[in-house]
Amino acid sequence: MEEKHGMTKVVAIIPGLAFMVLTLYILRTYVEPWMTTAVILGQKGWLVKVLHLNYILLAIIAGMLYRNLLWAGKIPAWAEEGFRTTRLFIKAGVMMLGSLYTIQSLAKVGGVAITLIMTFVFGTILFVMYYGRFQKMDRSLVGVMAAACGVCGVSAAIATTPAVRAKPADVALAIATVLGFGIASMFISPFIGHMLHLSDYQFGAWVGTGILNSGQVLATCLAYNPTIAPGTAVAYGEIWNVVRVISIPFVVFFITMWYWRAEAEAEHVTLIGIIKDKFPIFIIGFFAMTAFSSLGMLGAEGSATIQLMRTVMSWIFGLGLIGQGAYIDVRELKAAGGAPLKVGLAAGLCKYALALVVVLLFVSKEANF
Amino acid sequence: MSEAKKNVKMTVFKTDRHEDLAAMFFVTIAVVSVLVYMAYIVPSITLQAPMDGKITAVTVQPQAQVNKGDLLYSIETKEKKYAHEALEEKIVTKEIHAKTSGKILSVMAKAGDEVKKDKNDILVLEHVKGTLP
Repeated sequence: MEEKHGMTKVVAIIPGLAFMVLTLYILRTYVEPWMTTAVILGQKGWLVKVLHLNYILLAIIAGMLYRNLLWAGKIPAWAEEGFRTTRLFIKAGVMMLGSLYTIQSLAKVGGVAITLIMTFVFGTILFVMYYGRFQKMDRSLVGVMAAACGVCGVSAAIATTPAVRAKPADVALAIATVLGFGIASMFISPFIGHMLHLSDYQFGAWVGTGILNSGQVLATCLAYNPTIAPGTAVAYGEIWNVVRVISIPFVVFFITMWYWRAEAEAEHVTLIGIIKDKFPIFIIGFFAMTAFSSLGMLGAEGSATIQLMRTVMSWIFGLGLIGQGAYIDVRELKAAGGAPLKVGLAAGLCKYALALVVVLLFVSKEANF
Repeated sequence: MSEAKKNVKMTVFKTDRHEDLAAMFFVTIAVVSVLVYMAYIVPSITLQAPMDGKITAVTVQPQAQVNKGDLLYSIETKEKKYAHEALEEKIVTKEIHAKTSGKILSVMAKAGDEVKKDKNDILVLEHVKGTLP
């Protein structure tokens, strides 16, 4: 395909981008509200409550349907340039994600908990890197799978994608693996928790560390104790989850360095050289947004300004994810074979079981906050 | 697959660094636009109930000037705390303060009103230009 430049390129972007915006508009204006009221299998809002469908997953599914059904496996030429803005929106979304957190919210958790969570995050990443290499998986796929298993499925996998040059099919595999694992653990965890007489704090700490997806942490905690109040499993699980999510930029940096170091070895480039050339500078934006948020520069918590900021962020992410979905080719998923699933499940199971042991040994029944 | 070849497929930019910088520029524009819009273009905001409960007192009147931190109204709500495997509930009164300085345009709630979170309007505030409501 002929490479476009300047204004020609900008004009070429418009049709595909407009199509993505229109899709997201329909999903958020019509489909999302419909899902919350639709009665399926006798339950109102079944798609949201049981399947945990939200605009993030809807956007990816819509993109996949476009490519694999509507466009028979290839994005048409008229939309191609527009869909290539996908990574721009994902990087922008990751930066804005930083506005959700403040240094004050981290301080609530305490040093021991932060150390424990970080040990699990990076321990899982190292495990996936080692086992992925053993299974002879592609390095890009290992990088995405490591992020997905180490932090929390969807966000971390997507954030790492551009840095390790992963294919969208790699992301889809990583997300499918961790979501599948999460669904199984959602049903098993409350049963184990009750059997071991875990307190709400212990249960929240366990699933906040051991389950790979944020939405599923929430659902599992609510299945254990449906009460939403300070002191319940869901309150603790979410606080632990916040610490895990805020590690995303560190994880992206770590995995990027690992990925490019091997590439550079072949070309005899130094580590400093890699950092200079390949450092994903967009993650600095994440920290900047957290700093602005902590200083109250983006408006007070709960204010109309913060609410608008979050709406803008969700639209930016949504656009990126429609594009991400449209780059997922189901034929590539089939071609990947069973190794990614094996690695993801092994990492997930080890983390899940070890987190339970650590919680039983080191986490007290009652929280000190 | 070479870096250049992957770039041609997945991005409109020449390199990752260009894309990172463009994303940072885009976020800066988005954030500044939101802040300017809220600070200078939105004339007033409607404050809704932040939680379920009963209004116990409204301390401001229409046309009153308020400063950031001033008490606007009080709401009686149930505070839940889960401890020792039991749910403890107690009634507490929360004070709601102004998040920004401005003028009260209208007050829709009065003492004794039962309100639902994000459903009931309490008052309309015209914030001082340049502040974030």
